[in-house]
Amino acid sequence: MKTNQIYLYDGSFTSLLDLTSKLIEMKIKPLNICSEHNFTPTLTDEGIKLELNHSFNPQNLKVTNNILKTIYYVYLSEAEYKELIIYYFLLNALKYQNKIFSMRNLKCVDKTLKIAKYVSNENHKLKGFLRFKEINNHILYGEINPTNNILELLSNHFKNRLKNEFWIIKDIGRDMYSIYDKKKYYIISGTNINLKEINIDDKELKIEKLWISFFKTIGITSRKNKRCQMNFMPKKYWKYIIEMEDVYEKSSNE
Amino acid sequence: MTLDEKLKILADSAKYDASCSSSGSTRKNYNGIGNAAYSGICHSFSSDGRCISLLKILMTNCCIFDCKYCINRKSNNVTRAIFTPEEICTITINFYRRNYIEGLFLSSGIIKSPDYTMELLIKTIKMLRYKYHFHGYIHCKAIPGASTHLLKELGSLVDRLSANIELPTDSGLKLLAPDKELNKVTKIMSYIKENRNSSFVSAGGSTQMIIGATKETDLDIMRTSSNLYQNYNLKRVFYSAYIPVNKDKLLPSLSAPPLVRENRLYQADWLLRFYGFKVKDLLDEEHPNFNILMDPKANWALRHLSEFPKEINSASYYDLLKVPGIGIKSAERIIACRKNFKLTFSDLKKIGVVIKRAKYFITCNHKYFINESYFKKDFIEANLVLLDSPQIETKKEQLSLFS
Repeated sequence: MKTNQIYLYDGSFTSLLDLTSKLIEMKIKPLNICSEHNFTPTLTDEGIKLELNHSFNPQNLKVTNNILKTIYYVYLSEAEYKELIIYYFLLNALKYQNKIFSMRNLKCVDKTLKIAKYVSNENHKLKGFLRFKEINNHILYGEINPTNNILELLSNHFKNRLKNEFWIIKDIGRDMYSIYDKKKYYIISGTNINLKEINIDDKELKIEKLWISFFKTIGITSRKNKRCQMNFMPKKYWKYIIEMEDVYEKSSNE
Repeated sequence: MTLDEKLKILADSAKYDASCSSSGSTRKNYNGIGNAAYSGICHSFSSDGRCISLLKILMTNCCIFDCKYCINRKSNNVTRAIFTPEEICTITINFYRRNYIEGLFLSSGIIKSPDYTMELLIKTIKMLRYKYHFHGYIHCKAIPGASTHLLKELGSLVDRLSANIELPTDSGLKLLAPDKELNKVTKIMSYIKENRNSSFVSAGGSTQMIIGATKETDLDIMRTSSNLYQNYNLKRVFYSAYIPVNKDKLLPSLSAPPLVRENRLYQADWLLRFYGFKVKDLLDEEHPNFNILMDPKANWALRHLSEFPKEINSASYYDLLKVPGIGIKSAERIIACRKNFKLTFSDLKKIGVVIKRAKYFITCNHKYFINESYFKKDFIEANLVLLDSPQIETKKEQLSLFS
């Protein structure tokens, strides 16, 4: 007999909020909430889909923008039970509004704020660590492999900064692309895109070499501190940071 | 000379400048390339663990001055190079488009005259702003002794303008940098202070001094910093541990740069700017130097143990800030949270307080973390020194390995 009722949403932020607010309205305390793409029914787990409202707008939720933004950041994370954390956070946020941010004695608030901070930190780091290469037709192409799903946040940053360039950012792990056409960016799954012909010419390699020379020169030998360098620039990002590539390859061959 | 060789020479000459921050500006992208990020963004970290945010280069390492500590002094036999404005712009734009950097930090040796050098700097930055439509962050060094109208023009083009005071006291400057005059540096600082607004040096001014090249005590240094912050509203004073690059009988022969001392000065600098401490709280004629084994705040707390322990649920904001292990963020959070509930030790951990330091100096609901008979100077001091010693050891190791 199936005893565990797991509530399902279609994976989008809107649908998650719609489902969560509906559950709160109906006074249902879910055992878990799960994206339907990640759910597999078992002997005990049964997936339940509620009738959702397709024109649901997250802005209509009676919470401040700050709360909505925090929930969005948690949604972008890969934290375990993030949907359930969002449910309990929203449940309390509806009641306490912005006061919720100083109620860290509640477990759901503490967890929410920690996860949101983690996502926003990773986004900030990659604003710096992302490296573009100029490929065919002067398109800038960069690869990232972040823990959290920050492609959209990063795209928002680069659409202002590099507004007159064509650029593409690829999230390797999720196989997602963000493609910017000097007006808007589009987030597209890798299955719908064909990027086989990436050409990098000599001019590009020269500029990379110039940067690596600068990078090596700017360190002061008598102050060498590899541990400090690694603390600020964690190893997991090295593979995609061109000036660290050779260090990365050396360390993975060891 | 190839561009690559030039870059190596002119980055190598610029690397001793400590500042690389790119924060404090809200410059927008007006249909060109680049914008500033108010928080600043670090793009990489060099082998010495310092942040790389800006393309830090000299326009030229040719110089008519002969400052004893400087690698580019006139009497040194080093390869000299000069970038053209066009070259600086091309490298900056190429690096910026690929997201290697947050902007440019341009400094220069002095060629011909201060005014001539300033004019070249202005020409370069104008080209970058108007021909290449670059709206990213620019930090430029002002040349002491240059005319006011040039200072005005340069200031209106950049986000940060700085002038290095170089040594903590005037006598030190006279000894090691006889061509430099303190009043020319402070003149630049006053000018920036009086004219600063959203389109003139919006991220403010900064300066730097070398630590350990002359005989000043930490007290001398902190007095100088405190005056600089008060008189010129500087955003930052940077401290740079003296690294022997030249041999000169006027210079000390150090086996390694005084990195722990530099670290203590930065910690104290923060205490002055954000924690409500005054120089006289931290140092006096009897104790003119910081304790190398312990950070200045913990050191202060131990000398004023009668003011502790502080009760977390009632202490004022500035009292909370005096507790080792509690920073600005955690103090603010404590104040916000305790309106809603009474904080315990485990709540403090969630808030981000460094419990292993703070626990000796606080009570939560009038409870000490262990038996209150342990609230004794010797016990606390021993534990705090033990906490810090591994860090100090690694710094010493580095020194012996690489010096």
